Amino acid sequence: MTPPKILISSLSKRYGATSREVLALEAVDLSVSEGEFVTIVGPSGCGKSTLLYILGGFLKGTGTVAIDGRAVDRPGLDRGIVFQEYALFPWLTVKDNIGYGLQTQNIARSEREDIVHRYIELIGLRGFEQRFPRELSGGMKQRVALARTLACEPEILLLDEPFGALDAQTREIMQDELLRLWRKTRKTVLMVTHDVTEAVYLSTRVCVMSQRPGRIVREFSIDLDRSASREEIVLSAAFERARNEVWILVRAQVVSGTGVATAT
Amino acid sequence: MTVSNRLRTALSFSGPFVIFAALWQAASAWLAPDPTMFPGLGAIAYALVRLSASPELWSNLGISLARNYLGLALAIVAGVSLGSCMARYPIANGFFSPLVGATYSLPKTALIPLLLLWLGVGSTTDTTAVFLSCLLPIVVHSYHGAKDTPRVLLWSAAALGTPDRALLPRVMLPSSLPQIVTGTRIALGFSYVVTIAAEMIASKSGIGKLIFVYGGSGAYDYLFATILVIIVVAYLVDQAYVRLTATLLRWHHWE
Amino acid sequence: MKVIRYVVRVLLYFYPLVLLAIFWEFIARSGLVRPLFLPPLSALPETAEHLYREGALLAPLAISLYRAFAGLALALLIGSVVGIAMSRSRALRWFAEPLVAVAFPAPKLAFLPVFVLWFGLGHLTKILLVAFSCVFPIIIGFYNAANAVSPVLIWSAQSMGASELNILRRVLLPACVPALFATIRINLPVALIITFTAEMIVGGKGLGDDLTYAQRMFDTPTVYVYILVMLAIGLLVDNVILWTRRRVLGWYEENEPGDRV
Repeated sequence: MTPPKILISSLSKRYGATSREVLALEAVDLSVSEGEFVTIVGPSGCGKSTLLYILGGFLKGTGTVAIDGRAVDRPGLDRGIVFQEYALFPWLTVKDNIGYGLQTQNIARSEREDIVHRYIELIGLRGFEQRFPRELSGGMKQRVALARTLACEPEILLLDEPFGALDAQTREIMQDELLRLWRKTRKTVLMVTHDVTEAVYLSTRVCVMSQRPGRIVREFSIDLDRSASREEIVLSAAFERARNEVWILVRAQVVSGTGVATAT
Repeated sequence: MTVSNRLRTALSFSGPFVIFAALWQAASAWLAPDPTMFPGLGAIAYALVRLSASPELWSNLGISLARNYLGLALAIVAGVSLGSCMARYPIANGFFSPLVGATYSLPKTALIPLLLLWLGVGSTTDTTAVFLSCLLPIVVHSYHGAKDTPRVLLWSAAALGTPDRALLPRVMLPSSLPQIVTGTRIALGFSYVVTIAAEMIASKSGIGKLIFVYGGSGAYDYLFATILVIIVVAYLVDQAYVRLTATLLRWHHWE
Repeated sequence: MKVIRYVVRVLLYFYPLVLLAIFWEFIARSGLVRPLFLPPLSALPETAEHLYREGALLAPLAISLYRAFAGLALALLIGSVVGIAMSRSRALRWFAEPLVAVAFPAPKLAFLPVFVLWFGLGHLTKILLVAFSCVFPIIIGFYNAANAVSPVLIWSAQSMGASELNILRRVLLPACVPALFATIRINLPVALIITFTAEMIVGGKGLGDDLTYAQRMFDTPTVYVYILVMLAIGLLVDNVILWTRRRVLGWYEENEPGDRV
């Protein structure tokens, strides 16, 4: 039997010196198959970003983290990552940012330019090739960040609250953009967000994480007809039902940390 | 900017200098019974013209600037390398950080007598003095610039295929360029002081020695004329530096 | 026991210096380098004590420190007034800005022969040269600090009938206190450098003068001792400033480029 694309088993993460240790994650189990769009939601500080960073190879935890059966211990081109802060290289133009990963792979210049051009068209930023990130709006920057990651054709896409810094309207536009790109490329996506609506709208599966130390409390399978328009989806009864279910559970996690009473 | 705007700015900028020159002339006429101690504008201008014609001023100026900028250039290369390595590799930081902290408070011109003992009188001493003096500010600024590199940039670069050893040159260095530019500008200003100090203490040539000799031999109009040249050169070079680096940093988002 | 552990921890942190000291001692004693260039580190305390006993250590140091502090104080007095006034008066700003801009990058040390001409070889020359060297960055520092004070604050003070002097005293001055520490911290080393350097070049007592004298007499151990004293003073003074700043401005936390790594 082929191993799942992503397999996380009994993952724990500790921060800090022994006297003042913080347990960020506790025995997290998660399995993601190829082509899935999985989102992790949870209260702030629950460790969901930490999980993503460990999967990306930027941090180390104890337990099993495997991609296609092989253990993960360092960053790599197979796992592309997009951060909330865009993380564009400010000294490079839009064109050079998108082409960055292609350059590290020593892809020939003409081929590189073709690919970059294609992605610039894809994200609708024709005419901005020579601009620097500081000249772009938040939405444009995020589009460049996505294009930069996708241009290297990673097998897995890791998204760390990618639209958190954008205003509500731009966020909706970017969500649809992401959905469009995903349906075209069918990558395996693991996203982290605190926006439940966003999670339910975009993903095939939503995992709810508990307060720190984070564990996966429950997983929800989301089955929506995504070929419909945004309006149809968001206003449908199925969407509302799924969103409410997830939201109640997330709320319970948030509240359990603050001691505020809930209606059960 | 339109021509008339440029003209207006230039006039506005030079206005204070005209006033200052007028005050100087008045002071010269009134304060000093002995005009040589406080030469009037005419005498200084005359000396300036005679100096420009002779090779004495320009050759000494050239020698000083050559020593100065060589020492500075070496300091930039060594300083940026050291500072960024300290930020990147904790072992390097552990070793050099106490050294930097310990020597930071040392007035580097105090090393000039020591350098004279070791290297004797000459260009090597002067260049070395500039190098040592400019090294530390550049190291500190490069270190802070590299250390302040946002980790999401480093992580993104790694996820895009940048090998570990390339992270410093490909990500940390460009990211710390604004800080490096600032540190170098500070070092630039300071380098002149060291060069002049070294030349005044013991040297066979150089602009510092020149003004020292003029002062000692009573050629005060030449003295003031040379100082004027130094001020103008320092200002012009600083302005050129700012303009050049502005292009280098045109991508930078100034807070 | 705890003291020993603390000492050990300090030594471990400063291990490069310890290594350097050992290396120095070894090289000096091995005969690889002539004692003229590198006397043994262990010989220095003896030299220092000798100098101290002869009155050749504290007296010149006191002279140099007096000059440096006096010059800096003068620069602070003039610079703070001019800087703050510049932020309030457009005419003054028009006049001062170009002059400061041109004077700032220039090496003020070049004026040393001029100052000697006008003020002689003693204290006054050094004090005034220090003041001249430090005043421009101080003007800029206070000008920026005064400018950074929110105009809303000043307007509300004005609308409450505060006179110009009152505004100065109760709004601008307190806002400049952090800048005061920053400028002192940056300019005190400059003051020390200019003092020592001027003494090295023209003499007239002070640590710099004695340093050049020792060098000319090829008295290398004394040269090293003086350099180390200058280093120690620089460190001491900087730490005193930091300690004072912490006490006065406990709430103020900013990492300046001048901070050590």
